[in-house]
Amino acid sequence: MKKRIISLLLAAMLAMATLAVPAFAADEKVLTFGCQMYSDGLINPAAQTNTGWNCMRFGVGEALFKFNDNMEIEPWLAESYESNEDSTVWSIKIRDGIKFSNGADMTATKVKESLDWVREQGPNGSANPQKFLAFEAEVVADDAANTITITLPQADYNLPGNLAYPTMEIVNVADTTDFDAGTIGTGPYMVQSHADLVGFTMVKNPNYWNGEVPYDKVEIIFMGDASAKANALMAGQVDLVENITNVADLQRLQEDPNYTVDIASGVRCGFSWMNMKGILGNDTLRKAILMGIDYDTICESNTIGGLYTAGFSVLPSTLAYGYDQLTNPYAYDPDAAMAMLDEAGIVDSDGDGIRELDGQPVVLRYSSYENRLLNDFSDAHTMYLAEIGIGVQSQYGSSDDCWNDLVSFNYDLDNNNWTTVGNGDPTEYMANWYGKSGSNYCGYQNDEYDALYEEFLQTADTAKRAELLKDMQQILVNDAVVIVDGYYNSSMTFSKKVGYAHIHTADYYWITTEIVPAE
Amino acid sequence: MEKKSFIRRYPVFCVFAVLAVLIVLAAIFAPQLTRGVNPVKGSLKEAIKAPSAEHPFGTDKMGRDIFTRVLYGARTSLSSTFILVAVIFVVGSLLGVLAGYFGGWVDAVIMRLADMMIAFPGLVLAIAVAGILGASTKNAIIAIAVVSWPKYARLARSLVMKIRHTDFVAAAVVTGSRTPYMLWKYMFPNTITTLVITAATDIGGMMMELAALSFLGFGAQPPTPEWGSMLNEGRNFMQSAPWLMVYPGLAIFVTVVVFNMLGDGLRDILDPRSNEGR
Repeated sequence: MKKRIISLLLAAMLAMATLAVPAFAADEKVLTFGCQMYSDGLINPAAQTNTGWNCMRFGVGEALFKFNDNMEIEPWLAESYESNEDSTVWSIKIRDGIKFSNGADMTATKVKESLDWVREQGPNGSANPQKFLAFEAEVVADDAANTITITLPQADYNLPGNLAYPTMEIVNVADTTDFDAGTIGTGPYMVQSHADLVGFTMVKNPNYWNGEVPYDKVEIIFMGDASAKANALMAGQVDLVENITNVADLQRLQEDPNYTVDIASGVRCGFSWMNMKGILGNDTLRKAILMGIDYDTICESNTIGGLYTAGFSVLPSTLAYGYDQLTNPYAYDPDAAMAMLDEAGIVDSDGDGIRELDGQPVVLRYSSYENRLLNDFSDAHTMYLAEIGIGVQSQYGSSDDCWNDLVSFNYDLDNNNWTTVGNGDPTEYMANWYGKSGSNYCGYQNDEYDALYEEFLQTADTAKRAELLKDMQQILVNDAVVIVDGYYNSSMTFSKKVGYAHIHTADYYWITTEIVPAE
Repeated sequence: MEKKSFIRRYPVFCVFAVLAVLIVLAAIFAPQLTRGVNPVKGSLKEAIKAPSAEHPFGTDKMGRDIFTRVLYGARTSLSSTFILVAVIFVVGSLLGVLAGYFGGWVDAVIMRLADMMIAFPGLVLAIAVAGILGASTKNAIIAIAVVSWPKYARLARSLVMKIRHTDFVAAAVVTGSRTPYMLWKYMFPNTITTLVITAATDIGGMMMELAALSFLGFGAQPPTPEWGSMLNEGRNFMQSAPWLMVYPGLAIFVTVVVFNMLGDGLRDILDPRSNEGR
């Protein structure tokens, strides 16, 4: 009898357990998110710029400061800050009670360790943390007051903006054993598992400091192809995707009441670098190239479909940096471009349709990758350049291929889409053309520009900074430094399974606690 | 009389030979058939327009005429396929004959190389090779050639080994025939029929593999008109502008079918076993 009762009890427990598993699974709130894979999808803040972005975008890492949609700086892990008069000493009060996802307290010392670590790792990677906090800067932690004091070797009027950059996110250095795929941060989600080049499974951070985390689990699936994202969304395989760049798909989703498309006005600029260490060191050639391309027609075509707004400066026309006061001496005029080339002796002497410079045919190596319509822009540029006798050899690969070509100067044209006010203002972005910058990947050198940039770094007054930026832009336009594709509008699209999601102007915040399941 | 009899005996071969010639002629005379329209020149104002009288196959993302690009694409696809088949035919046959004739360490080295190549899925290895070499039509041909020659080598080797120790070969050796003469006079002729049939039936498959590499971005680079890369360009518009994919897809389909059937027809003619009972 006893045996029978025990058997019955065991059978009942087994049955309950069997029933309980699916019941738990059904209650579990899971978000499936499809996104582009950058830098193999890894999340090491110190390795590459993109890996730092991934860490923040996936909801793992948070920084001391963040940007709102007007690109104004707000405290995040920090509570408040103050600086001395010349902005060389900054005191930052850390919020109390913040824990890392492994339960460790985020003390001032932990913050110092993180800021020191990312700079120590800097030379091993390409994230360039010194752009945001100088190697020489000294960070002193006061755990009792929960503050850090940063003493800078020179003034930085935008230190909070620099510390808001994803590279500078605060991670638990001591406890993280796998920075590539298991960085421990303070964000709402933490890594449960990682499948190389496939995606991540994130779970709710049980120690999250900033309110309720809406999902138990977030499945991040890498998908580079815009149509794949759209089709996966429409097939119900994912709930949320970022940046569907295929115009036809985006329009279809916008018209379908089952989906919501959230679009942020662009602070990103699509542009092709021109390598001045190669054949494009020739000024006439660069100017003719700019005059040979019809930017308005490209941006208004069915192919680009309004996802970009045409422009000629490296900073978007929507930002208050004097775009309207700039003049463009190289507007689309193919006849003038050809006359300019002829006059400079860059002519097609062998009749093959390609002009020669110093006896060599002008065939440009164009690196590009399939994201945010960059390959379409590159194709369009190629077509227009053929009209004025300039050949192009396309080298389309992954975003990493394109990046590697850029940093190794293995290109003539290299097409990218970059955020312009990454740290709240264009300081970092405009350093791309500063002669002494580590991120000057095109070999551009103009003493006047460098002087203005150095003055800009030392200027606190907002109006004066805007004036300097306007002058710097005009120099870049006059020197025909880049081909501007246009200014990009980011988007996030979600199905009815998601109650709310939002694409931020600053492109660092993808998986946030704002994203909630539908009621 | 003789001609009629041939057509009647091999109708499949004759029909598909005519179609294959038409495809080749279309490729050769693409400039005339398209009335001089430039396949890489378009207008963004005309991008993604549906088929019309002006553009019978519609226009692509760059506003280029798809009809023109499909015809010019035949040039790229056919020429690269023929070069590829010729390369693997020559290299594979040569190595196979050498392996079969000499045996010993020559055979061991060549065949182990071949074994290494066929140990991996062909297209995957080709993607790896193309990835290392960089994306271009030339490198796509090299990549597929690297993984495809063993088939010919193994075939040629087995055919040579069948006759290597026969009396007439021994007699030729005894009478002082030199090695190059032996290879040229006795070994190659005994393999050539089977290898030609294999090559003919391989054309369709090789064309598909090249198109696959181009589709994946490892072959022809923009703006070169190539059917595989055109399929890739149109992929994003499969639902909203299907003509971007339909016409290059049809071109691949028709050409592959024609050359496969032509290869089958050629086998019927050249393979004595398939002639039995006719």
